[in-house]
Amino acid sequence: MKILVCVKQVPESEAVVSIDKDAGWVDVHDTSVFRMNHFDECAVEAAVQIKEAFPGTTIHIISVGPERSEVVIRRAIGMGADHGTHMVTPGDGFVDPSTLAGWIASLSEASDADLILCGAMSEDLMQGQVGPLMAEYLSLPCATAVVQMTIMPVGEGVHVEREIEGGYREAVALQLPALLTIQTGINQPRYPSLSKLLRANKLKLNTLYVDAMEDSAPLQGVRRVTLPRKLREGVFLEGSASQKAEQLLTILSDRSFLTVL
Amino acid sequence: MKNMQTSGSIVVIAEHFEGEIRPITYELVHFAETLQQFSPAPIKILVLDERAETLAKSLARTTGKDVLGLRAPQLAQYNGQVYTSILHEILRDHPPLYVCIGHSSRGSDYAPGLAMRLKAACITGVSALSVQEDMICFSRDVYGGKINADMVSNTETTVLTVQPGSYGPAPDRDLPKGNVCLKSMTVSPQTSTTLSTTPFQTSDLDFSAARVIVSAGRGIGEEENLELIRDLASVIPQSVVCGSRPVIDLGWLTYDRQIGVTGATVTPDLYLACGISGAAQHVSGMKGSGFIVAINTDPMAAIFNLSDICIVEDLKTFIPVLLEALSNKR
Ligand SMILES: Cc1cc2nc3c(=O)[nH]c(=O)nc-3n(C[C@H](O)[C@H](O)[C@H](O)COP(=O)(O)OP(=O)(O)OC[C@H]3O[C@@H](n4cnc5c(N)ncnc54)[C@H](O)[C@@H]3O)c2cc1C
Repeated sequence: MKILVCVKQVPESEAVVSIDKDAGWVDVHDTSVFRMNHFDECAVEAAVQIKEAFPGTTIHIISVGPERSEVVIRRAIGMGADHGTHMVTPGDGFVDPSTLAGWIASLSEASDADLILCGAMSEDLMQGQVGPLMAEYLSLPCATAVVQMTIMPVGEGVHVEREIEGGYREAVALQLPALLTIQTGINQPRYPSLSKLLRANKLKLNTLYVDAMEDSAPLQGVRRVTLPRKLREGVFLEGSASQKAEQLLTILSDRSFLTVL
Repeated sequence: MKNMQTSGSIVVIAEHFEGEIRPITYELVHFAETLQQFSPAPIKILVLDERAETLAKSLARTTGKDVLGLRAPQLAQYNGQVYTSILHEILRDHPPLYVCIGHSSRGSDYAPGLAMRLKAACITGVSALSVQEDMICFSRDVYGGKINADMVSNTETTVLTVQPGSYGPAPDRDLPKGNVCLKSMTVSPQTSTTLSTTPFQTSDLDFSAARVIVSAGRGIGEEENLELIRDLASVIPQSVVCGSRPVIDLGWLTYDRQIGVTGATVTPDLYLACGISGAAQHVSGMKGSGFIVAINTDPMAAIFNLSDICIVEDLKTFIPVLLEALSNKR
C-alpha cells in the first residue's frame, strides 16, 4: 500500500505574531519556535501504524512551505515514513487553498497513492480545506475528522469513524484510494527514533519550487488582517505574581466565588 | 418550481440531526439576512433528507423563507459524497451568489468539495461580515484566533461555512410562512457509504450544579501539573475540573470533561482558563460563562479577548502563589 501524508510546519501557539501592513499578512516573529502541526503528527502516526501492520507499505511525506519547513518532513521520516517531497514557497504568505491542493494533487505520489492522509486542519490558517479539496481534484472519496480507522481485507477499502458533535461518531466505509483528514486523539504520535532521524537527515528529499504569486486567478484573497475585537473588558492585572494573586482573590471574593477573611 | 430557482440567491443549507433542525440552521438564516443587507438577494433554504417534507415545512414556518426539500433514499444518513452530488446538481445550472453552510463536522466535510465543483471560492469558519471599499469581507480567525483575516471572494458563487455561535438565531418576527417545494433526487452509486451514526460517549457529569469550572489547557505541560488545577478547584466551592481537547486527547482527563464544539457547552458563573489559547473550537463551548478569568504566559493569547480578567503568568508558578495567598487569609 502506498500512503501519502501531507504535513505542515506551523508556529507554536505561543508564537509572537503581528500584522505586517506592507505584506497585508501576518508576520511571525523570527524567534518563534516552529513545529509540525499537531493534526498532521497524528496523520503521520496513523500511517506508520498501518505500515507496521502491513509490511510492504511505503509512506511518502509532502510539505508545502518555506525553506525552514523541511525539518518537519525529516521529523516525519524519523517517525517511520520513507521519503519526502518539499514544495518550497518563497515565504509564508497566504496561498489560496485550492491552489495549494492543486499543487499537491499534481504530484505522482498523490495520484498513485492508495491512501492520502492530512490533518483535520492547520493550527495557523485553520481552514480545514486542503484535504477535502485534494480529494475533489483526484475524485477520491473523503472523510474528515477521522478518530478511528481500520484497513479492511483487500478489496474492501477502509472503515473509519468521524467525530461529529454531541459525542456522536459516524461510521463510514470508503473504497480505496481514499483521502482522510485526521483528528487529534486518534493516537499518541511517537517521538522520532534516533536511528531513523539520522537516516532522515541524510536522505535527499525531492525539492520543487512553487510560487503563489504566479497564480493568476486565485479564488479568494486576503483583504486585510486586523487584531481581533475584544468581546469583554479584559482587565490585565498588573504587578508581581503575588500582587496579581491578591487582586484576583479580592475580585473572586467580591463576586462571592470564594470566601476569604 | 420556478420560484425555487437558486440563481442569484443566497442559499442556506439546513443542518438537522435525528429529525431535529440544528440551531446552526437558524444562525445561518440570521447570517444570510445580514449578508442580504450588503448584497440584496432572496434567501432560499435547502434541506436534504430521506423524506424532507416535515423538515421543509417546519423550516418554512419558523423562518418565513422559501424552502426546497431535496429527498433521496441515500439521505437517510449524512454522507459527504451524496450531499455534494445532490447540491451540485441543483446549484450548477442556477448559480447562487452565496451558499451558507454550518462550520460543523458535517458542513466542513462537504463544503470545500462542493465549492470546487461549483468553481466557487470556499471561505471557512466565517464569524463576521463587513464591507470595505465596496467589497464584502468575511472575517475568520487565523493563528489560533490571535489575528483576524478579512477574506474576499473572486468568484461568481461563494461557499461560506459559518462558525457556530457567531450569529444568534434570526430575530422573531411574525412572518408569513415561506413556500415549500419538494424534489426527489437520484444519486448514482458512491465510493463512500455511511454505515451508522452512534453515540460514542455519554456524559454523567452534571455541569448545571457547577458554579465554577477550572479548566486546564495544553499549557499545563505535564500531566502532574493537573494537580495544580485540582488544588485550585479544591479551594473554590462548587467547582469542577475540565479541559481543552489536547488534555483529553492525551488521556489526562476523561472525555466528559472536554469543553468545546466536540465536547460540552457550559455556562458556569466563573470559568477559569489555565493555559488555554482560546481557539474558536474551544471558545464556542465556554463563551457564555458569566465571568471569565484566564491565566496564560502569552499576552496575545486569543482567550484574553473574551476574558474579564487577564493574568499573564506561568500557571506553574502562579497557582502556587495564589493558593499560598489564599491560605494566608483563611
Ligand atoms: C473539528 C475540530 C474540533 C475541535 N474541538 C475542540 C473542542 O471541543 N475543544 C477544544 O478545546 N478544542 C477543540 N479543537 C482543537 C482546537 O482547535 C485547539 O487546537 C485546542 O482548543 C487548543 O487547546 P489549548 O488551548 O489547550 O492548546 P494550545 O493552543 O496549544 O494553547 C496552549 C496555551 O497555553 C499557554 N501556555 C503555555 N505554557 C503555559 C504556562 N506555563 N502557563 C500558562 N500558560 C501557558 C500558551 O501560551 C497557549 O496559549 C477542535 C479542533 C477541530 C479541528
